[in-house]
Amino acid sequence: MAPNDAVFETVVYGELRRLAAAYMRRERPGQTLQPTALVHEVYMRLAKTEPAWTDRNHFLGIAARSMRQILVDRARARGAQKRWAGMDRVTLTESLVGAGHDDAMLPALDEALSRLEQLDPEQARIIELRYFIGLSVEEAADALTMSPATLKRRWALARAWLFRELSRDPAPSQS
Amino acid sequence: MTATEWVRVRDLFERLLDQSEPDALAWLDREAGDNIPLRTEVLSLLEHHKKAGVFLSEPATVEPAPYDDPSLEPGQVVGPYTIIREAGRGGMGRVYVASDARLGRMVALKAVRSQLADSAQRDRLRREARAAAALTHPGICTVYALEDLDGDLFIASEFIEGRTLRQEMADGGHPSLLNAVNTARDIAAALAAAHAAGIAHGDLKPDNIMRAYDGRLKILDFGLARLEPASQALQGLHDTRLGAIGGTPGYMAPEQLNGRPPDARADVFGFGVLMYEYICGTHPFNASTPLGIAARVLESDAQPITAVRSDLPQTLAEVIDRCLRKSASERFASAGEIVRALSLDTHEAPRARVATWWRAHQLIVMGLYLVASIAAWQIKELRGGSATALFLTVGIAATVAAVFRGHLLFTERVNRPGLTPERRRTAPITLAVDLLIAAALGLDGVMLGLSAPLPAVLTLALSVGLALARLIVEPSTTAAAFGETSPNAS
Repeated sequence: MAPNDAVFETVVYGELRRLAAAYMRRERPGQTLQPTALVHEVYMRLAKTEPAWTDRNHFLGIAARSMRQILVDRARARGAQKRWAGMDRVTLTESLVGAGHDDAMLPALDEALSRLEQLDPEQARIIELRYFIGLSVEEAADALTMSPATLKRRWALARAWLFRELSRDPAPSQS
Repeated sequence: MTATEWVRVRDLFERLLDQSEPDALAWLDREAGDNIPLRTEVLSLLEHHKKAGVFLSEPATVEPAPYDDPSLEPGQVVGPYTIIREAGRGGMGRVYVASDARLGRMVALKAVRSQLADSAQRDRLRREARAAAALTHPGICTVYALEDLDGDLFIASEFIEGRTLRQEMADGGHPSLLNAVNTARDIAAALAAAHAAGIAHGDLKPDNIMRAYDGRLKILDFGLARLEPASQALQGLHDTRLGAIGGTPGYMAPEQLNGRPPDARADVFGFGVLMYEYICGTHPFNASTPLGIAARVLESDAQPITAVRSDLPQTLAEVIDRCLRKSASERFASAGEIVRALSLDTHEAPRARVATWWRAHQLIVMGLYLVASIAAWQIKELRGGSATALFLTVGIAATVAAVFRGHLLFTERVNRPGLTPERRRTAPITLAVDLLIAAALGLDGVMLGLSAPLPAVLTLALSVGLALARLIVEPSTTAAAFGETSPNAS
């Protein structure tokens, strides 16, 4: 009997969270860690002990979702909403188009992504795979069983849609 | 926007991506026709596509320097509380020992992490804390108050000095049988009080059971399980199932792993796992990864506890094995039933005062054996002949019976759980021997007959007394002491 998704999600989420926390204690502030490395490590562990349970594409989908949850929760815990709401328009746009990863935008991104998800769940999966666990275009296309060219176009659409949402509404919705 | 409209927007957007600027606009005009909103939407998205720069192109990163709730220093005053020291870190945040100026008592002050602090979550926390505060039982850590102090949330609860069962287990060594039985009873009793009030714990594990230094057991964090970080997603804004399961995988019931909220039956399962681990020192579903543990909880049965500890009283072993059933309906419906099942076992342990009468009975009967032997010896001196044979019969039988009764008294003192089987084993022998003595004395009495009326009557009285003591008095003292109706009932 294969585990149902709820069990699998709980376990993957728990493992990622635990590993992320362990890494964050070990590294010095200023250094960053690619989620890809974490996801890979969790996959290797699970594949070793429970090979029957670990279909790679299924795993990646759940890991990406978990990583989104973990990063967004952490950003919320650091008071990201306040920082985000406090930014003026210029800083906001700069931080959106800038190369640096800014976790202040994560809660707002997460909310926008949930709205996009309602419109088109596939769009959210693409963002999770590409942005939250850093898969390449080819890897993400593979995980979603579509051609890299299609994935690239849909990724562009999701990015444009989210960018518009975030630059339109700097204040996070009241929760 | 509907799903169909979205697909249309997506298709137009994707095709425009591949075209050069001047052609594109004309093409879009043709495609969209007079559908102005469609045209506007596609153009808007295209425009933002161009402006987006490297937005999201670099993957998110996990940054070190984990956030940390600011800690409170000893001596610091928070509302009515003065911090004394930090006691540790729990799932929800730091825990402090503090003194409450209003009542002059010590409290455990739990700081709730700031991410749990939005209004919906506060309401939820308030409800849970109120439910937990309604529980007053000596086996449950009392929640005093949920405090909102300068925007920070704190849970003030009873301060207990002691060690958790997890810490006890870490110190090694198996608990004695007496300790195992008492621990199971205490936890089940406290849990039963909560279940009777309609509150499930949801996260029973050795870390949540504290043994105070005075020996009393206390269950901690009642009803707060679902507030642990693993379950924050559930309270979030989005309909995501991630982490919707509170609790700790190794102690969660199969149905809980499948996403059902914890209830009394899930607690019963947690109780089983917890007691199994405490008594045996090994987790019943042990595996090297959480996924492996979850798999075993769902799919494989634990090794029967008696296979690991064969000396465990049968009742307790059966209770624990039943708690670990996969199907919730096969388990005890609540901890109250566990208490009842375990209390059947208390009949085995003599009820203190009545057992004293049982002991007295044994001693008196042993005294009567001595009197009977002396009487038979005196009669042999008087009569000789067949009286010698009767004296030998009484003497040997009395010695045998006295040895068995002494053995039972000894067993009752040092090995109570073993008493019942011993009693059942020896009952036919003592019965036969007692009746033999009574019969021999009866013959002695008849033999004396009219030649020595007084000793004859005394001897006959002793004979009848011994027979009555064995046939009528002893069954009733035994039944009173051990809760049995007949020595053959099992």
